[in-house]
Amino acid sequence: MRPRTVGFAVLLAACLWSALYGFQQRRPRYYSLFYDNAPVVTPPDAGEKTEFAFARMRYPSYGRGPGGIWAMRGNWTIDFPKADRHFVQGVRRLTRIHTRSVEEIVDLSGDQPYDWPWLYVVEPGHWELTEAQAAKLRDYLLRGGFLMTDDFHGTFEWKVFMESMIRVFPDRAVVDLDNSDPIFHVLYDLAERFQVPGVVTFGTGRTYEYDGVEPRWRAIFDDKGRIMVAICHNMDLGDAWEHSDNPEYPENAASLAYRIGINYIIYAMTH
Amino acid sequence: MFELLFKYPAAVFSKGDLVLLGSWPAWLLGALAAAAAAALAIPVWRSLHTRRTPLDRARAGVIWGLQTLFVALLLLVLWQPAVSVATLRPQQNVIAVLVDDSRSMAIRDQGSSRRDRAVEVLNGGLLDQLKKKFQVRLYRAGGELERIEKPDALNAGVPVTRLGEGLKRIASEATGLPIGAVVLLSDGGENAGGLDLPTINEIRRHRIPVHTVGFGREKPARDLEILDAQLPARSLADSRLSAQVSFRGYGYGGRKARLMLKEGEKTLASREVALKPDGAVQTESLLFNAGGAGAKAYHIALDPLDGEENVQNNALTRMVNIESNRLRILYIEGEPRWEYKFIRRAVEEDRNLRLISMLRTTQNKIYRQGIDDPKELEQGFPAKVEELFAYQGLIVGGVEAGYFTGAQLELIRQFADRRGGGVLFLGGRAGLAEGGYAQTPLAEMLPVVLPGRKNTFRRDPANVELTAAGRDSLLCRIEDDPERNLGRWKKLPYLMNYQDPGTPKPGAVVLADALPTSGGRLPLLITQNYGRGRTAVFATGGSWRWQMQQPLEDMSHEVFWQQLLRWLVSGTYGHVISSTPKSVLSDEITVQLRTEVRDRTYLPMADARVEARVLGPEGLAETVELRPDPVNEGVYLADWSALKAGSYVVEVAAKRGEEEMGRDLLSFRREDGVAEHFHTNQNRELLEKLSQQTGGRYYQPGQVSKLPEEISYSEGGISTRETRDLWNMPVLFLAALMIRSSEWLLRRRWGIV
Repeated sequence: MRPRTVGFAVLLAACLWSALYGFQQRRPRYYSLFYDNAPVVTPPDAGEKTEFAFARMRYPSYGRGPGGIWAMRGNWTIDFPKADRHFVQGVRRLTRIHTRSVEEIVDLSGDQPYDWPWLYVVEPGHWELTEAQAAKLRDYLLRGGFLMTDDFHGTFEWKVFMESMIRVFPDRAVVDLDNSDPIFHVLYDLAERFQVPGVVTFGTGRTYEYDGVEPRWRAIFDDKGRIMVAICHNMDLGDAWEHSDNPEYPENAASLAYRIGINYIIYAMTH
Repeated sequence: MFELLFKYPAAVFSKGDLVLLGSWPAWLLGALAAAAAAALAIPVWRSLHTRRTPLDRARAGVIWGLQTLFVALLLLVLWQPAVSVATLRPQQNVIAVLVDDSRSMAIRDQGSSRRDRAVEVLNGGLLDQLKKKFQVRLYRAGGELERIEKPDALNAGVPVTRLGEGLKRIASEATGLPIGAVVLLSDGGENAGGLDLPTINEIRRHRIPVHTVGFGREKPARDLEILDAQLPARSLADSRLSAQVSFRGYGYGGRKARLMLKEGEKTLASREVALKPDGAVQTESLLFNAGGAGAKAYHIALDPLDGEENVQNNALTRMVNIESNRLRILYIEGEPRWEYKFIRRAVEEDRNLRLISMLRTTQNKIYRQGIDDPKELEQGFPAKVEELFAYQGLIVGGVEAGYFTGAQLELIRQFADRRGGGVLFLGGRAGLAEGGYAQTPLAEMLPVVLPGRKNTFRRDPANVELTAAGRDSLLCRIEDDPERNLGRWKKLPYLMNYQDPGTPKPGAVVLADALPTSGGRLPLLITQNYGRGRTAVFATGGSWRWQMQQPLEDMSHEVFWQQLLRWLVSGTYGHVISSTPKSVLSDEITVQLRTEVRDRTYLPMADARVEARVLGPEGLAETVELRPDPVNEGVYLADWSALKAGSYVVEVAAKRGEEEMGRDLLSFRREDGVAEHFHTNQNRELLEKLSQQTGGRYYQPGQVSKLPEEISYSEGGISTRETRDLWNMPVLFLAALMIRSSEWLLRRRWGIV
């Protein structure tokens, strides 16, 4: 056998082994844009069947089309998976919710979203939902699903966010949440809140990005007065979760980010 | 013929006692007969061995038997057999002739009307024959018993048949009047309470035989008749109700008829039914929405078919009290989970249910929803009777038994047992066996025997399948039509998780099974009655997928949970609960009001003052005091007469001193001229039973010529006991002759003369 043929066989075997390993893990590996891409160790209980999992919505980035290679490394991957895994540790420790240690990636296609009644979407200021995805999201929310948006800032990103959201709910208003809304009291009383900064705060102390100076706590309600879409605009809870183990990140912001996230989950599981 | 052979009518033998008038004792007759049999056996025995051609044993036995029988007959005649029978003294007794004059006697089902045929029988000789021997009193029986002079006064116009009342009156008259017998001419259509045992016993006490003459066809040629319609006496507004309608038909077997249920002019339910063969009783259900609150009169009817003889019996009315209470269900959940959210959402639209929930969000925090007052459940799960018993239902979600104190566990048990509440247990990682309930007092109230192991909860998919009981149960009806309902259940998305609930108890009903996709079958929805209340297990926390995985317009999840929770609480009553045995009095007057009173802790209350305020037709308003039932503690009764036809509303209030314990509303309706159209066939069974139990006899109109003679043999009225010889009955001589002739003929045939 020629060395070239042997090399080819070894390469083929390696490919097959990787594919088999990936299949066995059943957890596709995605790479996050921009930040900490250090290898993440899969927790030993990653396969545990639980009531709740941090469901991260995958969407096509603005101007990049609905799929292809960009779906593997789009804006939806920001802070992923470290933010997700840090945060669920908090959920596990602070509540009685039976929570999986790893996240679930959810596409707005097929029946998969309906098995995950709580969805998190990061950087929706860069999303561009197709008509089918918008319709699916509308259906998902009206059946009882809950969407939490995070980490988008300023006027431009709001505009991009609303371009897709208007196709999800053409006739529903986005309203500012009152401090007395149950979502801020379902577990923690969060009437007093402040802007949770992203990594931009490192070295600068700044808490806002672009022109998003004021944090906005907004929502879209259903016909019964229940929040379907909880919109966290001009803040970055995902960074707070991700960097909550970083001594440089403000502890009070990380703490607030955990509390908001937990309240939103418990609200979604009770309303 | 019978009289020719036996000298007397059959009634003499059926009513009389056999006696032997001879002066020798009866035992001697037996002894002599035995001696004769032995003596006759000797020559027969010898003939078996001494003859040249030995006699066959069987033939010898026959000859011996005939000879013995002949001698025994002669001996019997010597002992002078006779019959002792009571007979009415001529002209000293009264025969009460009761003629049913109700409207059903006007039915022309055999050429002429039943009334005409009865008059024909009476005028055709029956009255004259009776008058020769007795004083005859003729009565019109129907509503009140009324004496008439001539049969022509009968007009078949009384809207009700109260044969029992008539017979009671005759029995009371018998204390001052020598009534020797009653002759009842009727079609047996008794529609006002029936012939009860006390009435029959009263007649028997006076030893008055009731002879009945039946009129009318025993079955019609072409008719449909609704026999009954079962509906709950009360229900929550907007509930799905089921009317179980039983009916039968003649002459239409295999045809289809439309069964419908109406409220006023509005049709609430309608369906086609295939009719069974003649006379077979069939029961069909009609599902309908009860609608808003109020005392509702539902009309259940079968559309008349062509050529039907009696269309008046195709419809009847039932009353149901539809209540608008908002019943309160306490739901305790041990951990945030999707099932909790979606149950809350499913019943949110139900105006009659209010879900008050307490959810353990963290180890030390409880999130309350649906509370009326900020202080409600502030201290956690209720620890006092008054607090827990303020709810009508309880859902125990995924919360471990150890969360409750021992006293709270006992309180939950008593919530069903004493309070009459409904308790639903859900599956979950801390529910049922996983929660350690097998070792608590709650194990007794569960409809299952919990498994004695852990790891019974699985977060794996499982499909759902209705059992036979579930297919019939209203609780599992997502669709009205049974077949479509079954189809909907088959299409339900799989459950997100399931739990092995253990083994259903003997009194429990399994309505649905879980079929894990990995294989096997487990009970999923199990219900049972417990004490005054009811309990259920729904061994999953994953039915929320029925909501999320189905189109938005699909209401399977909402309907299922609303019906399950309505079932849980609809039988949970307050401190005062009233009822009547029937919601519609068909040509009846008396109604029994029954009220059960419980104190603040739901123990039977024996010292209450219970008053019913009755509002009826034409401005009737009357207050009735209910008396304690000596048998059942806490139960109060009153018999009340609804003198006018129409709807009645009764408000019952119970007080202890000045403290009011509670109130309850009930309604009923009296309808006249309806019952006569039902059960129009001759009720021969009732007439025969009445005759049989009182010592009389049932006659068909063509047989009444024998009645005047047979009626004489009675112990009622003024009677004498007569002894009549039997030794000279022609049948005895004929028998003797036949025995001897038979022996001679047999001997000739066998060549042994």
